[in-house]
Amino acid sequence: MTTFTKIAWRNIKRNKWRSAITISAVSVGLAALIFLKSFVDGADMQMVENYTNLLIGHIQIHKSGFQKNIKLENSIVNSYVITSVLKNIGGISAYAPRIKDYALISSTEGSSGILLLGISPEPEQKLSDLHKRLRKGKFLKSGLDDEIVIGTTLAENLKVDLGDKVVLMSQANDGSLAAAAYNVCGIIESGAEEIDKNLALITLKSAQELLVMGNKISEIVVKADDISTIDALSVGIKNNLDTNRFEVLTWKEVSPVTYQWLQFDQVFTDLILFIVLIVVASGILNTVLMGVMERVREFGIMLALGTKPQQISGMVTIESFLLGLIGTSIGTCIGTGLVFFFSIRGIDLSIISSALNNFYIGSVIYPRLDLISIAFYSSVVLLVSIFISVFPAKKASRLSPIEAIRHI
Amino acid sequence: MQKQTIISVKDVSKVYREKHSRVESIALDHVTLNIEEGEFVALAGPSGSGKTTLLNLIGALDKPTSGQVVIDGALLSTLNNSQLADFRLRKIGFVFQAYNLIETLTAEENTEYIALLQGMSAKQRKHETFHILKDLGLEDCLKRRPSQLSGGQQQRVATARAILVRPKIILADEPTANLDSKTGSALIDLMYSMSQNLNITFVFATHDKMVMDKAKTLIQLHDGKIVS
Repeated sequence: MTTFTKIAWRNIKRNKWRSAITISAVSVGLAALIFLKSFVDGADMQMVENYTNLLIGHIQIHKSGFQKNIKLENSIVNSYVITSVLKNIGGISAYAPRIKDYALISSTEGSSGILLLGISPEPEQKLSDLHKRLRKGKFLKSGLDDEIVIGTTLAENLKVDLGDKVVLMSQANDGSLAAAAYNVCGIIESGAEEIDKNLALITLKSAQELLVMGNKISEIVVKADDISTIDALSVGIKNNLDTNRFEVLTWKEVSPVTYQWLQFDQVFTDLILFIVLIVVASGILNTVLMGVMERVREFGIMLALGTKPQQISGMVTIESFLLGLIGTSIGTCIGTGLVFFFSIRGIDLSIISSALNNFYIGSVIYPRLDLISIAFYSSVVLLVSIFISVFPAKKASRLSPIEAIRHI
Repeated sequence: MQKQTIISVKDVSKVYREKHSRVESIALDHVTLNIEEGEFVALAGPSGSGKTTLLNLIGALDKPTSGQVVIDGALLSTLNNSQLADFRLRKIGFVFQAYNLIETLTAEENTEYIALLQGMSAKQRKHETFHILKDLGLEDCLKRRPSQLSGGQQQRVATARAILVRPKIILADEPTANLDSKTGSALIDLMYSMSQNLNITFVFATHDKMVMDKAKTLIQLHDGKIVS
């Protein structure tokens, strides 16, 4: 240990309370940074997973132009071209075909415009969580093509319950009027108003018959093994498909508003983290500056004995670095420990779960343990603790030895 | 053999001005003196006569209001702060009136501080530090902090720090003020022998008659002027 490091260390020990307060400020601040970042990342990840798992999936493959113009004529004719590609690409956990159309649903008590999905019940259950959100009744089953599942708000609006009849009306693929009656077999409650109010599900076969689609489908929805590989998977699918005929869209492109909201959320979180960082930096600056003011005379002696001004500033920087190092070490341990604990146990926010459901988050949030993120914030706080010492270090190095020695 | 002038103070004045006022106090008034290397010089005079101010100017701790200070051929006014620090490190040893030890370091570490800055090897540093502290009767105090030492012990540690690296000039401000007569006498004898054997120049600011008697040259100051 060099003499200057030794002096810096002893100065830290000399005023134990002040050093302890600074170290606490750094460690608590960093722990808060790590936890807050992990919490928001975890909530965002859950939101993306819940949002994509509920309905839209991770990747959607359409006929080119379908996303901009959702019409039956923009349907996929030979879906096996796509499925044969998907079978040979790794990283896919499930995929399922759908027909998507806008329709009018009516009961004896009312009517409403809806998004009608024709689904293959068995593959769909591997792809989405709609079947898990049943509040009443049962989910669709292949072969039972006169049944319909609707959202809970829609059921309330139509004043229908299980077993009641509803009529679907739309324009068929051939331009004719499509209309058919269905029995309500299930009512889902997703927690998301747009789904509960506007969604109706029938079997793919039933939809093809109703809308005179033959074997055509609107889209194939893909679920990735790992949410973090979606972009790469999308590129892989694109590379194997004729992109003039098909469009391959990730959930970010299917639902840009949700994606932008997430990005805004990240920016907002970063802003809060930045404010916490400033508070931490102020704590360090305060301690180091107080330490410098307290030792003006000592610095004067050292300068008088031949210590160079840059050696004095180096010593002050070492002191700040040591405070930062201890604080960040403790803060990293506390922050990582908290994140690890709650990433397993979860944080139950059921008291505000209705608000969270609207954002697809769910009532229990699991902070995301991201070691790179933790290392990043720990490094930033450590660098800030060094950077923040520049001002007091400069102040100490510019002292006049004789005036400093006279300082009481 | 002709001895060289090592300290040359030419027509130096030092005026202190109070901040935010026009009140001035003249600490040194057109002082000129030359000191040869190896000399044993005492600056005497009543309090406020300018002894400490003159030591500070010779020691490159302060700058004159007018005039020139040349030490070992270097015109101090031409050096920047970093060069002045290096100059003090290489050429000057200080024994301050208020000891001015570094509170966080032990007696041993305080003593070896300058040697460490000069880059002396750890082995040699430890060896010489131990022997000089032993010579000054402080071998039992090596690991004590300044707050654990008496005034006299602190003064001896400050002296040991100054003489350890054998600088060309040692400036001592009332070095015997806090020592009993026996220890003070022994210290001055040690310094005198270093002056004779190692050609180190000693300049004391003192009220102590014993130091004045030992000095080869006695300079009397009064109201910032040399009177004899």
